[in-house]
Amino acid sequence: MHGSAPDPLIARVADALRRPAPLTPDFDVRVMVAVRQAPPPLPLRAWTWLREPRVMAVSPLSGLAMAAGLAGILLVGAVGRQPSAVSRQEAVSRQPSAVSGGAAASVTFVFVAPAARSVALSGDFNDWDASRVLMRREASGLWTVDVPLTPGRYRYVFVVDGRRFVADPAAPRAVGDDFGTPTSVVTIGGGGTRAAGGSL
Amino acid sequence: MNARPLMLALLSGALMLPQAARAQTQRLAGRLPEHARAEVAALIDSARGEGLPADPLVNKALEGASKGADGARIVAAVRALASGLARARAILGAGATEPELVAGAAALRAGAPSVFVERLRRDYPREPLVVPLAVMADLVARGVPADTAAQSVLALVRAGVREAELVAFRQSVERDIALGAPAGAAAAIRVNAAERDLGATALLPGQVPPRPRKP
Amino acid sequence: MRQGDSDGVLVQRVLQGDTEAYSGLVARHRERGGRFAVAMLGDPADAEEALQDAFVRAYRSLRTCREPERFGAWFLRILVNRCRTRGAMRRRSAAVFVQDDVALERAAAPSVAEPEWREEIARALAQLDAMQREAFLLKHVEGMEYEEMARLTGARIPALKMRVKRACDHLKVLLREVDDARVRS
Repeated sequence: MHGSAPDPLIARVADALRRPAPLTPDFDVRVMVAVRQAPPPLPLRAWTWLREPRVMAVSPLSGLAMAAGLAGILLVGAVGRQPSAVSRQEAVSRQPSAVSGGAAASVTFVFVAPAARSVALSGDFNDWDASRVLMRREASGLWTVDVPLTPGRYRYVFVVDGRRFVADPAAPRAVGDDFGTPTSVVTIGGGGTRAAGGSL
Repeated sequence: MNARPLMLALLSGALMLPQAARAQTQRLAGRLPEHARAEVAALIDSARGEGLPADPLVNKALEGASKGADGARIVAAVRALASGLARARAILGAGATEPELVAGAAALRAGAPSVFVERLRRDYPREPLVVPLAVMADLVARGVPADTAAQSVLALVRAGVREAELVAFRQSVERDIALGAPAGAAAAIRVNAAERDLGATALLPGQVPPRPRKP
Repeated sequence: MRQGDSDGVLVQRVLQGDTEAYSGLVARHRERGGRFAVAMLGDPADAEEALQDAFVRAYRSLRTCREPERFGAWFLRILVNRCRTRGAMRRRSAAVFVQDDVALERAAAPSVAEPEWREEIARALAQLDAMQREAFLLKHVEGMEYEEMARLTGARIPALKMRVKRACDHLKVLLREVDDARVRS
């Protein structure tokens, strides 16, 4: 066909693999059912960043099915005030959102800032555009937002009142900051199964 | 702001069509000063030519833009990341996924000895290494000495931990440090505890790692 | 669906609102998609899920298909990605074939019938590194040129050639005995 003649064994293997794989008889039907239910391919809909917030989420790592995590609380006062001391407390994650390997997992970001007028999330997952992901304020002064993230490692910060960059006290720091402001990192893994192979 | 490039990136992951590649550098338009944008685009093209993923570089440029950094600083950061990704790829291999390269670059930048990253890849060629590498980097960012962080992660991976357990380990160490423990000691203690829980013992240098267990 | 409508025509019809026209694209591309997914993932149920997932994603992002006449290649890219994701998820929970065991079981088989041959191929494929398996399938089963594979995977041609070569070498080692027995019988 092209190039040197393929090895005859490889050719036999390829032949065997070229047989159509048997699909279940109603495959087409099932696909079309799903397609009809899907939003139509109109002008691309942006992911809806702003959704109903989950109540009482923990750190972004709740997405990794942890039984307990740190909840960071940083009180940000009005203009000019220094942040008060960070107090850390253990919190039980209410709904560890399952990470289905590869598919986007919903990660909840939480930030406590009762005196802030607005809090936005800016990071690798939204082109660092703080105007895109405004967080929603709960009565208690908690700001939250859910973001779908596929497996990977994402840097981010909270943007308070449109101009102050604050790292997430509950999350690990990014390694070395290139631009002079501390940055946080969230890592989404593939599903919490054995890291060293073998069966579950 | 147009979400199309982000959709493409999410859908295609590591796979890239030329139009998607153009879309990536379009994300920089209007965000960077023009001379910086041109330099960054050139860096990205050259990186892409070497088979490195462009997305992390675009993100780094946008991070700088959003933080109001000047053009020269942004270019320097993108260049540094590109070389970090190349270094990670040299160790992790051409088959490494984009998240692995990003996490690998972070771990190496944090000071993880390259021999540990090599060993991780060599011993587990088929396992995604994003979480072990990320935990390595996160521990170092928290103050654990790089050698200790790398050894701890490698020991835990060999013992057969799940990704979630690696993260739990990191959180325990962070908690201990927040409560006043010296970072290195905190890591060492937690590793021993984790290994005991798993019934494993740490490998001696030169030992062959255990085969993945069959059911 | 009118017989013989090209992919380009069908894509345009779907984008103009004729959702049912998508079934034509599904019917036309599911065989090739199915055989790739099964060979890549090993498990038919997984493969069907990946294939269905890919079709739905392709539908939702249909507007990003810049060359509707080449829907097949564009769709294959989406499917390859779905299989990569699913493969990564599965690898962690599946039993790992250890090479010695395969050799042992092979040695016990005197002659090899057709279904067993395909099973042996599947087992051999499962032992390949995922990227090698993928490259092998795209090159030797789907008959792609390296340029197209490079566009589809984002990998460079030398790397792809290396993967294909390694895959072939490995498959030959794993399957040589079985193939000999089969050819003789």
